Parts: sequence; C-alpha cells; structure tokens
Amino acid sequence: MISVVMEQPPQIMARATQGDAQAFALLIEPLLNPAYRLAAVMLADRTTAEDAVQEASIKAWRKLGQLRGDVGSLRSWFLSIVANECRMVRRQRWWSVAKLAEPRPVHVVADQFDETSTDLKSALLRLSPEERLPLVLHFYLDLPLDEVARTLGLSPAAAKSRIYRTARKLRSDLTLEEVF
Amino acid sequence: MTREDFRREIGDAFDAISGSPSPALSDRVRSALVEDAPERHGQVWIAALAAAVIAVILVGVLLVGNPLNRFHPTPGGHGTSTPTTSPAPTASTNPSPTASPQPFICSDPSAFGASQAPPPLAYVDAVRTGMHTGYDRLTIEFQNGQPSSIEVRPQANTTFTRSPRGDTVKLLGKDGILITIHGSDAHTAYSGSMDLKTGYAGLLEVREVQDFEGVVQWALGLATTPCYRVVILTNPIRLVIDIQTS
Repeated sequence: MISVVMEQPPQIMARATQGDAQAFALLIEPLLNPAYRLAAVMLADRTTAEDAVQEASIKAWRKLGQLRGDVGSLRSWFLSIVANECRMVRRQRWWSVAKLAEPRPVHVVADQFDETSTDLKSALLRLSPEERLPLVLHFYLDLPLDEVARTLGLSPAAAKSRIYRTARKLRSDLTLEEVF
Repeated sequence: MTREDFRREIGDAFDAISGSPSPALSDRVRSALVEDAPERHGQVWIAALAAAVIAVILVGVLLVGNPLNRFHPTPGGHGTSTPTTSPAPTASTNPSPTASPQPFICSDPSAFGASQAPPPLAYVDAVRTGMHTGYDRLTIEFQNGQPSSIEVRPQANTTFTRSPRGDTVKLLGKDGILITIHGSDAHTAYSGSMDLKTGYAGLLEVREVQDFEGVVQWALGLATTPCYRVVILTNPIRLVIDIQTS
C-alpha cells in the first residue's frame, strides 16, 4: 500500500546532522506521505494534517541530534513527532476536535468504496484519535509491531494488545488470527 | 474474514479518510526547513548563551546561599565577632499565590495532558457535584495516579452512546458535555452512583456511559449551551468542571 524507504544513506544523515537542511529534507521525503496519512487520520482534516506535517518536520529538524545518526530509527522517531504534533493541534484548535466529534462526510466517488468500507470508515471516525493511532501505524502504514511500539513508546506486547483491542471495537467478532 | 481481507478493508477506510497529500507538500516542507536553518543555528547559539548564564547564576547562588559560608558566632563570645554581610535566607514561607481561576469557555472541546507512556490506571474514587454562586461544579477524584489524557467535548444535545453496549441514553437538559478519560477505570475504587440527578440550575445530570478497557466516559446533561471551565487539581488528583450558571 505505502512503501517507505527504510535505509537512507548514512552520508545524508551525516550531512543533515551537521546542519544541512537540504539533506534533512531529502532524508524525510519518503516519510512525508505516511506522515501526512497518519496526521490526516488523527485530525480528520486534510489541510490541518499538512500543516501538522510541516510543523513536525521543522521540530524534527531542530531535534535531529536526539536521533544520534540512527537512520534505522528515523521513521518511528519522525512519526512519533508527527503524532505528538497532531495531539498539540487537537489541544490548541478546538474546532479540530469538534470535527472529530461530528466528522464531515467525505465526498468520494460512489463506486470507489463499498458499503462495508464506508461503515468501517464511520466506525474508525468514532474511535478517539489516540485509538486510531496504533491502527493507522500497523494496518495503514504497514509498520511492524516493534516499530509501532517504538512510535507509541510502548512494549511490542502492549502495542499488539492495543491494536487488537481497538480492532475489536470495530468488529467485535475479530479473532487474533484475523488481525495479526 | 481473512487477515488480508481485514487489512484491505481497513486500508480502504483509512484511504477514504485521509486522501492523498497535495503534490506541493514535499516542496513546502523543504522550503520550511531551509528557511528554518538560520533560525536553528541561531537557536543553538542562544541556547548555549542561556546555558552559560544559567550556570553563572547557579554558581552565584551556591556561593552566596551555601550555609557553610555563613557567619557562625563563636561559642563563649571570645574574640571579636565580625558582623556578617550574608543576606538573610530568602526562602519564603508564604504559599505561592493561587493561580487565578481558569476563564470560562463556551462550546470549545478541550483536551488535557496527553502523555507518551501509559501510566498505571487512575482509579475514579469519587464523583461529586456542588452548586456555587455563578456555577455548578462536578468533581471527579482519582487515586493511583493521574489519567493519561482527558477530553471534554460539548454537544448540542443530551443523547450519548454507551460503550461497549452501543445503545444510547438521553440525559436531562438541552445540551451536553462528554468527558472522556483515558487511562482510568471507574470500577476498582468507585462504588457510588453512576447516574446523578442534581436538581441544579446548570448541571442537571451526570451519568457514566463508558467504563471499559481503560477508558471512562461521563456524560453531563446541561440546562443550556455550556460555558464551562476545566481545572485539574492535585492532592488528591481531581478533575473539576465548572458549568457557568450566570
């Protein structure tokens, strides 16, 4: 569904760490699409989601030293910053939360999604953004459990449990095998 | 349903919510990063200067405030006592000034205190209501720590969905507020009423609508469109919501 380049040339990371903004932009470019999708699902607003990704990118750039050149952790680190930015946006801009409470109908081509998907979409929007987050990371961005766990700041077992619990809120008859 | 079916369905649903980013997002981020670069260097310089100033102040405070440097009168009064020039201790015993009350806000949902790692569940151990001049108050008291996050969302009716049942309940009043408390439960330490009908002017009813998997929701039935304020107090940790009545 979404492919993300996991390995980035260490030289680019080195240049970014030394203060090269262009190198950092290159480094996070493959992550912008998943970051946007994460933000759009958490905020249920596409414009705000792009703003959040931009702001999160700047914050990540300013905090790049935290990563200590670890390219392998770049994706989960960056997505956790995006998730935090979305939380901040929701706190600061009450109307975003209001939209989550009563989501606007999303105009889609009628035959693009079947009824089940629409039902599932409504069910997803009824979840809180915090509940949606692990589902987005695992099912939509295809992050493995250990990376979901790092992004959420949880143990892999706790991340798995959270994903399963939330998935069962969507479909109460789901078995563990159907989820993982 | 197979695992793949579920993934495909949920992926389609997420696609419908998010859509695709605008093609300009990448350029927009790149421009923002390049524009921020001088600021970043500036911030490093400012941070270094600030750290140096703080270090100097700390050293100064330690030198002046260190009790070992203070004058101690010699027992027996022998010799000439030198008057000390050390300043008197500056620690104040006055309580810190009470923060001014939060302003009332109208119809704005609010979220408070999201944290990264999940803390232990905060147990609701008391739910109280009270009538005061100008406002009605709801207090939800916790033990075993604080919840990971709290959301307060007003709504233009008093119909709420109970979870996980999925049925709806209608509370007294015209408008409502839904309080969602993550990282909490209301069954370990709380044995009081799950449905409080107050008879007040503003806050008419308080009812629990969810206590499930670490998420507790309380619904409020209000007489009119809510103007409210939210305060989190400590010792013990309490969520306080005041509903303005005049």
